[in-house]
Amino acid sequence: MATLEELNQSFEDCKGQLKSYLLRITTNADDAEDIVQETYLKAHATIDGFRGDSTLKTWLFAIGSNLARDLLRSKKRWPENVTDICKSAAMSNQAFFGEMMQVRSTSEQGNFEIKEHITFCFTCVTKSLPLEQHLVLLLKEVYGFKVKEIAGIIDNTQAMVKYYLHVARSRMTEVFDHRCALINKEGVCHQCTELNGIFNPKQNAQEELAKIEMVKAAEDKTKEALFDLRTQIVQSIDPFESGAAELQLRHLKHNDEVMKKHLGED
Amino acid sequence: MTQLNNSGAANGKAKTTKSTFSRETSVAIQIESSSEVVWALLVNGPDYTRWNSTIVSFEGTIGERETIRLKSTLDPNRTFKLKVRAVKPEASMQWESGAAPFFKGVRTYQLDTLADGSVVFTMTEKMGGLMFPMAAGQIPDFTASFEQFAADLKSEAEIIRKLK
Repeated sequence: MATLEELNQSFEDCKGQLKSYLLRITTNADDAEDIVQETYLKAHATIDGFRGDSTLKTWLFAIGSNLARDLLRSKKRWPENVTDICKSAAMSNQAFFGEMMQVRSTSEQGNFEIKEHITFCFTCVTKSLPLEQHLVLLLKEVYGFKVKEIAGIIDNTQAMVKYYLHVARSRMTEVFDHRCALINKEGVCHQCTELNGIFNPKQNAQEELAKIEMVKAAEDKTKEALFDLRTQIVQSIDPFESGAAELQLRHLKHNDEVMKKHLGED
Repeated sequence: MTQLNNSGAANGKAKTTKSTFSRETSVAIQIESSSEVVWALLVNGPDYTRWNSTIVSFEGTIGERETIRLKSTLDPNRTFKLKVRAVKPEASMQWESGAAPFFKGVRTYQLDTLADGSVVFTMTEKMGGLMFPMAAGQIPDFTASFEQFAADLKSEAEIIRKLK
């Protein structure tokens, strides 16, 4: 029901989104890259079986999601306080800080922006959700798929997609409300402003924060609305193409390594 | 999964019947959601404290022969240790405590799907045994707690159904 040319066009059109989705699922740039390639190979090999029940983009996301599930099924999920654990590990790792400062000063994608760190933090913290909830949350809230499409991607019913989405959203709304000092004065995590002070020592952090809609709305909006504003920030940033991509990917690699050790998977 | 034609007295009001050696409290409520969502809520133990205002804390996994520990608003200072039995996905399960013939409590959850696709949730707890008459005076009335549990489950499952 689709030609090879149509597959190639669809793959080119959604490759960037697929790769960022897979990065946010796996928290590992190499794994994301590998799964994107594998997705194409699998799609190419089975294109005759594509019946046109969905768009090619949805079909490609289904293949990629299945490959990611295969990779992650036996692995432990991260704890909600992942950023605290990784911060402690980073504080005692001078070499890592040196490397980050080097990226900051030499790379074209080595800028530090608070918005980029909010996205990075979202990637780390949402990995504490059970895998199916994690997939559904990203597909709906970040990549804009409809419930019906997500049901096709994860091969489940629309009712269960709604259940996973509701539970995941409720959980993450609470976690960010409890943890994030940007939206809650009692929040326990100030990592983005702390890092901004290190990487951008001459910058006025308050001025930067005042540009972020989620921070401006912190006192007036509900925690659910603030979660929506957070996902809008995540939607707006491509973790491979942004001006902070190299810095944030290096940071993510660090956290991935720290968590593997922490969870006994290294 | 049972197919029913109507909801009967699934009005969310709890009913208790007593005898010398046993007590049984039951509540039934009609929920405009699918049995798989209601079931998913019932077996996701760690999520109970988010939507179920009668549960104070929960530990364990709800699955066949698993042991769970929970604190309820009925007695927040006491941890109930329960064994999960007779799990039939999207249909029924039981949580048991104690041991016959002295004192045994069995809570049964049951889902029945109506012809229109909605679900009747029924929760029944039967306690009894030779020691029951001595303990009966100290066991709180379940009526309000059962009605609240059923109302919370209905509210949560119906919110999920309405998601776009």
